[in-house]
Amino acid sequence: MGQPPLVDPAPPLVRVRDFVKRYRQQMAVDGASLEIAPGEIYGLIGPDGAGKSSLMKAIAGVLAYEGGAVQVFGQDIDSEAAAERVKVRLGFMPQGLGLNLYPELSVEENVNFFAELRDVGPELLAQRKQKLLAMTRLDKFRARPMKQLSGGMKQKLGLVCTLIHEPELIILDEPTTGVDPVSRRDFWLILTQLLRERGVTALVSTAYLDEAARFHHLSLMLAGKVLAQGAPEAILGQVPGALLELRAEPQVEALNRLLAEFPQTEAVGPKLRVFMPGASPQTAPGEVQARLDGLRVTDLRSVTPELEDAFIALLHQRRQAGGETAEPLPDWPANQAPQDEGVAIAARELCRDFGQFRAVDQVSFQVRQGEIFGLLGANGAGKTTVIKMLTGIMPPTGGEGSVAGADMRRAGQAIKERIGYVSQAFSLYQDLTVQENLRLFARIYGVRGDRLAEAIARVVVLAGLAAQAEQLVSRLPMGIRQRLALACALVHGPRVLFLDEPTSGVDPIGRRRFWDILIHLARVERVAVLITTHYMSEAEHCDHLALMHAGRVIADDSPAALKTALEQEAGQVLEIAAEPPLAALEALEQAGFSDPALFGRRIHLLARDPARDQARIRDLLAERGVRLLEITPLTPSLEDVFVHRILERERQEKAA
Amino acid sequence: MTRPPSTLNSRLDLWWSRLAAMTVKELIQLGRDTLLLAAIVYLFIFDVYMAGNVSMQLNHAVVVTHDADHSESSRELYYRFHAPYFKLGGEVLDAREGLRLLDRGQALMVLDVPPDFERDLKKGKAVDVQVQVDASNTVLGFLASSYAAQIIGQFGSDQALERLGVTERTLQNVPLIQDQHRVWYNPNQQDSWFMPISELLTVVTIMALMLPAAAAVREKERGTIEQLLVSPLTPIQIMLTKVIAMTVVILLGTGASLLLVLHGIFAVPMKGSLLLFFAVTTLYTFTTAGLGLYISTISRNLAQATMLVILVLMPMLFLSGAWTPPEAMPSGLRLAMYVSPLYYFIEMGYGILLKGAGLEVLWDSLLGLALLGMAIFSFGVWRFERQFK
Repeated sequence: MGQPPLVDPAPPLVRVRDFVKRYRQQMAVDGASLEIAPGEIYGLIGPDGAGKSSLMKAIAGVLAYEGGAVQVFGQDIDSEAAAERVKVRLGFMPQGLGLNLYPELSVEENVNFFAELRDVGPELLAQRKQKLLAMTRLDKFRARPMKQLSGGMKQKLGLVCTLIHEPELIILDEPTTGVDPVSRRDFWLILTQLLRERGVTALVSTAYLDEAARFHHLSLMLAGKVLAQGAPEAILGQVPGALLELRAEPQVEALNRLLAEFPQTEAVGPKLRVFMPGASPQTAPGEVQARLDGLRVTDLRSVTPELEDAFIALLHQRRQAGGETAEPLPDWPANQAPQDEGVAIAARELCRDFGQFRAVDQVSFQVRQGEIFGLLGANGAGKTTVIKMLTGIMPPTGGEGSVAGADMRRAGQAIKERIGYVSQAFSLYQDLTVQENLRLFARIYGVRGDRLAEAIARVVVLAGLAAQAEQLVSRLPMGIRQRLALACALVHGPRVLFLDEPTSGVDPIGRRRFWDILIHLARVERVAVLITTHYMSEAEHCDHLALMHAGRVIADDSPAALKTALEQEAGQVLEIAAEPPLAALEALEQAGFSDPALFGRRIHLLARDPARDQARIRDLLAERGVRLLEITPLTPSLEDVFVHRILERERQEKAA
Repeated sequence: MTRPPSTLNSRLDLWWSRLAAMTVKELIQLGRDTLLLAAIVYLFIFDVYMAGNVSMQLNHAVVVTHDADHSESSRELYYRFHAPYFKLGGEVLDAREGLRLLDRGQALMVLDVPPDFERDLKKGKAVDVQVQVDASNTVLGFLASSYAAQIIGQFGSDQALERLGVTERTLQNVPLIQDQHRVWYNPNQQDSWFMPISELLTVVTIMALMLPAAAAVREKERGTIEQLLVSPLTPIQIMLTKVIAMTVVILLGTGASLLLVLHGIFAVPMKGSLLLFFAVTTLYTFTTAGLGLYISTISRNLAQATMLVILVLMPMLFLSGAWTPPEAMPSGLRLAMYVSPLYYFIEMGYGILLKGAGLEVLWDSLLGLALLGMAIFSFGVWRFERQFK
């Protein structure tokens, strides 16, 4: 890429050529090649089923493969014996929260076990344990059984156990999925620290595209193939284009007009976001204006495209090149829903205890008809419990609520008849066809006779399932299954829709299709939508957000307002590009800037007084002989908001 | 005016419609599960057929003789051990060789005839013969030794009568008791009538435990239960549909087994009302399914459920009366039999199929099964509902 390596020039640590892995007939990875340089953090990004895990396992020497060559530390991994030789020098953490750990053992016992497994002597062990546990802030919980740790802590313990023999190469399979933002930030901190102190090389996979900036180099994977490869900036450069943000009234009309021309148009809260591959930022606004003739357009501006835009553009290109026709644009019925604007869901001080443990603590919020309301939080934050209480399948310990005009404490059955629900795991019948599933749920919800065929036809159009109606669900890809789940939840025409992490593991195009439908439901049919997610980027689409942490709502506002509040309270995020980055980071830390963090080759930090701080940074880096490339003010991400609110809450609790 | 009754009716209607939709779903799913279908066909048809070939009778048991006499009489005695019960395995030269054959399982019985057997008989002296039997299989051992006693006794009395000069004509003057027994219900005492019925009822039990438990656990395993719980379905509806669908399958299997195997191959008479038999089977299936659903509530996956089904099945079979009648059980276990639904089912199954018994005879068993069924099924429903609270 023409960039100097981060640490020192050396032959690649890992070299993969034309890697092929098949599971019986199923192709998992189809011809992947990559090279990982010593001392870098290499990313594999892609949705479930992209082939990330297979590739990582092969590099870790725990999976046999069908074709190509894998070389680790210059050693060809072509036999059990070869794999055994490199295993000593690497650490591998499989996917799933703490799946490689023993739930009954304590934190310390788990670490000791892995140390023994790896032949680490008692003195070295004591020394490393001390350091790693302190780094992960787990030292206070040494005696606690692993099963009683939170998701984020489990993941950090997994990391400690993987690092206890000081491997030169660490392979981490989706270490941040479903983990709370603070633990996630800790996790990246530890990783970059290891890289700085010991020059460790890391191969990390993730399903979150917004983590791409953390990597030095990455491969975007989909369905067993590498779509794009290189440094994040370089991948962005592969798909030149313009990204516009605007507001337009009425939004859905504008969305449909733009979608017809620019498939990468999406609604983000009140705004529209249009990515136009190949267009120049100068002419793009004019083109968009022309399409929106007669609508009220405001706040039209050009912004920097993100990796997700590039990824989706690449996907579209790939599909067109493969002769695949794009899915037809939704042809939605423009039926007029009743224009009620009342409160659809109200939760007042909901609490739920499991034994001694309070899973949900005084949660209150309101969702109006036509609003998309997001509950954002890590696994175990209490999101699903809130939904279970509101849908009437779990009685609350305290508090009250109403859904679709029915009291949740007394009229659970009425609520069940009036709402639609899409659950976390795919929970339809895979051994039935699309049509059979729809019929079943229509009849369960009391849709019968003449109305049955009509209702099914309506949701088939809405979810774009016409081509798959007679297929068995087990043969459908994830994205279409989730649309079927949505169709089943909508078949009786509910006015309130609950979605519990509906897009986990779905590829980005599938996710956008799914959101297109949700936007239509909310804007045109005025359905109230309550959705939970742990994708920060997805949360941006919601009209209103409640951030949940440890059973509580710690912030509750529109995404834009949450970010503005953060900027006012904590300052602006500055992104600093400098060479060499590690020296810059050290200088900034010593100068006392608040929490500078390494993102790939760039550094993020919070500036209370952006203008003054920018000047300080320039002076400081010049003085240290570090070459400053640029300083860019960034809009804070929702993750920034989340981390700030959690830490603030923790500080308040400590003070109290 | 007429509104309240019509809404009540429509709600009832809706309730049934939901039940029907779910039952159809269960049947479609079962129809697509080839492995399960194969298991059902295998158990109802082939397994029952194989059971009809299992015999608890003495059949071609090998008898060897250690004949120290080598006389006409000793040979005649030996040749009275004939087919189909026995098979002559020839002569061994010494007693130890006979024991060795018993040890190895190459012979079931050794007949030891002493020297001078014939001479002593002719003299009118009492003579002993020795019979050694391998009773490691108690049933066969018992049968072999009692048949041997009969054969030897008959031989002895024939010899005695001959020596007394009793002829066919003068036999009438000898005080003899003639055994004139009549065997009811299974006149030829064929195991091929008894065993397949017993096996069929066992298969019904396995299926009634396993199918609803598997269907319920599968919903849990695949997470589909969540979607059902948020729907207007009540837990009772979810549970009932599984029992109804699986009962339909079991009744079809039972019908096929009765027609093809019991009637078609083994010509079991089917004396009583088949309608009554199917009614009883339905009641029994519901009862046992309640137990199966209870199992599904305490297991997390199919493997656990299967283990528990086996755990429940074994005592049910022992306490069923098929292997040991209640009179022969110690008193504690005898009481336990009255809470085993299979006991009533077997009682009624044999009663209807072989004895042609009707309700006038079987009402007490039916009442017992019905009461037990209600208790078990209600317990199952209660637990099934409670697991989601």
